[in-house]
Order: sequence, then structure tokens, then C-alpha cells
Amino acid sequence: MQSKLSDTDLIEQTLAGDQSAYAALIKRHQRFVFTLAMRFAKSREDAEEIAQDCFIKAYRSLESFQRQAKFTTWLYSIVYTTAMTTLRKKRIATDSIDDEETFIQVENKPSGYDENNVENKSRSFYLNQAIDQLLPDDATIITLFYKGEQSLEEIAQTMGIEANTVKVKLFRARQRLKDKLERNLKHEAKELI
Amino acid sequence: MNSIEEQLWNYIDGTSNPEEQKAISLLIEQDEVYRKKYKELLALNAEFSAMELDEPPMAFTYNVMESIRNEHAMQPLKARVDQRIVKGIGLFFGLIISAILIFALASVHWSAPVSGGNTTHFVIPNITKFLSSPIMESFMFFDIVLALYILDVYLRKKNLTKTYTSVQSGGQQK
Repeated sequence: MQSKLSDTDLIEQTLAGDQSAYAALIKRHQRFVFTLAMRFAKSREDAEEIAQDCFIKAYRSLESFQRQAKFTTWLYSIVYTTAMTTLRKKRIATDSIDDEETFIQVENKPSGYDENNVENKSRSFYLNQAIDQLLPDDATIITLFYKGEQSLEEIAQTMGIEANTVKVKLFRARQRLKDKLERNLKHEAKELI
Repeated sequence: MNSIEEQLWNYIDGTSNPEEQKAISLLIEQDEVYRKKYKELLALNAEFSAMELDEPPMAFTYNVMESIRNEHAMQPLKARVDQRIVKGIGLFFGLIISAILIFALASVHWSAPVSGGNTTHFVIPNITKFLSSPIMESFMFFDIVLALYILDVYLRKKNLTKTYTSVQSGGQQK
């Protein structure tokens, strides 16, 4: 029943004291929030912590949510801010990291890669691997644009930057993702030979 | 001037203006380089759109709701009392104090002679005549409602503390 209700309806019910409405809201958005958190975190455990923290923060300030805006834009801005704060706390440099350093950093990420099971790897596996190798900001923009159904203006709102900057960043992020994808596929082809 | 790739991405995203859209559409039709690049980017776009989302742990929703419930139980009661009630009570007492002051000032004989022993002459109101009046009855009714509200708050607090203790002990048992 609750799955048919809009986000705004579920928010109204939550504010009226129905906690199951908020649980429905979490179920609806948890996959995307968790994926966004994964773009910043080093492990699934860290991502889970960030995502959990975001939903608790959103619950606490649900009353301040302006109904004119999309709930997802508001929620994703909480995810972005929380993830950035967590990153800063853990002192992981997010900017000015050259490609090689990023590559080393993400190589430690558990990717579920099994060298003996190469044939099972799909194109989406390589895509996810390439996204993991991007800088958090690039990966976030790509994820928000392609999976979050967010316009450039909404992404700008989420990340607290200008829409034109988002456009430029999206272009660069796509180029980097394409390069990484090609590099990983070439590397894989060499391994097979 | 934007690169071919940038122009084509803008065309795919629909972020370029109508004239540019028209021009690029024409270039794709006529120019082999543009056509090839467009096909390549279109394939990439489809691939990016098919990206898979990560799946959180099974108990994710439960864990979040449990944290919220615990936090709610630990919240001090004074933070949960509706501020409108507090303001209402404040206003009520403010009005009573103002009414008494107005009544006292109104009963002063300002025209009494200054010379002599007594400078002002206060007339002490006969309170007993108010005891049976509707004002007194409504005042008493308000007091009863207030007392019931305070009792309700006290019982809720007791109940919440009991729930929180049982949740905490349940968690420790696990």
C-alpha cells in the first residue's frame, strides 16, 4: 500500500507519527543512497555507516524539508555533505590526486574480482570497476546523472556548485570514465593472452 | 569553440540550444567523423545508463529504524513538549498578572488629598464574591486540565523509560 504513495505523502505520514512510513521511504531510496555512499567510502561497512547516518539526519530534519523541492535532491545533498565530511575526517584527499594515486587507492577496494572466473565478468562489472577508480566527485556526478534521474540544476543543488560547473565536470567525468573503462578492458585482454 | 565530443554530449543530453541541436543533427547526417563519434558516444551513454546500483545489507532499513527508535527514547522529555503549550501557559499567567495589576491600579483613589497622614487609600477587593463566579469555575477547570496534562506527561515519560530499558537490555542479551 505504502509503495504506491509519493515521497511527499510518506513524509506527511512520518511527520504525523507513523514510523512505518519512514521505513517505506528508506526502502525506496536505500539502494541509491548506499551506492552514492560507496562512491566515497573505502568499504561496504563505511558506506553502510554513511548511508545510515544520512537517513537518521534526514529523519531529524524532516520538518525543515521544503515541499517545493524534490525529496531526492534534498536527501542526496545530505548524502553528499555527510560523505564529504566523513572523507575529510578520515583525511583522505579528494582533490589533486593524480590518476596513478587514485588507481593505487582503489586497487585495495574489494571488487569481488575472481581471476579464475574471467568469463563470468560482464561489461557492467568493468563499468563498476572503472567507476570505483574515479575521484568521488566524478563518480558522484556520473551516478546522480545516470541513475539518480537528476537534472544538471538538481545536481548543482546537491553538490552546492553552479549548473555550468556541473556540465563541465560531467563532461570530464565521462571522458575519464571512458578512458578507465578502455584501460581496464585492454589490461584484461592482455591477461587473457 | 567546443570539441566534437563536447558538442555531441550536449546534443545527446539535450543541453544545447535549438539552433545548435539543428546544426549538430545536420553534421551527424553529413559528416562521417561526427556520425562515427555520435554512434560511439551513444553506445557509451547506453552503457552508463545501464550501470548497476549497489545493494545494501538486508537489515539496513531495520538498523536505521532501530537507531531512530533508540534515539527517540533517549530524547529528554522537555525537548518533546510542544512549545505552543508552554507559550500558552505563559500567556495565561501573563494575562492573570496583567488583570490583577489593572484591577489594583483601577481601585486606587488617585484624587485623595496629598497633605495629611494617608497619601493613598487602597480598597481591598472582596475576593469571596469571585469564588462562585463563572471566572473562578473556568479557572478551576483549567487547573484540572493542566493537572491531567502533567500527569499524562509523567506517565508517558515513565512508559518511555521502561521501553528504552527493555530495548537496551534486549540488545545486550543478543
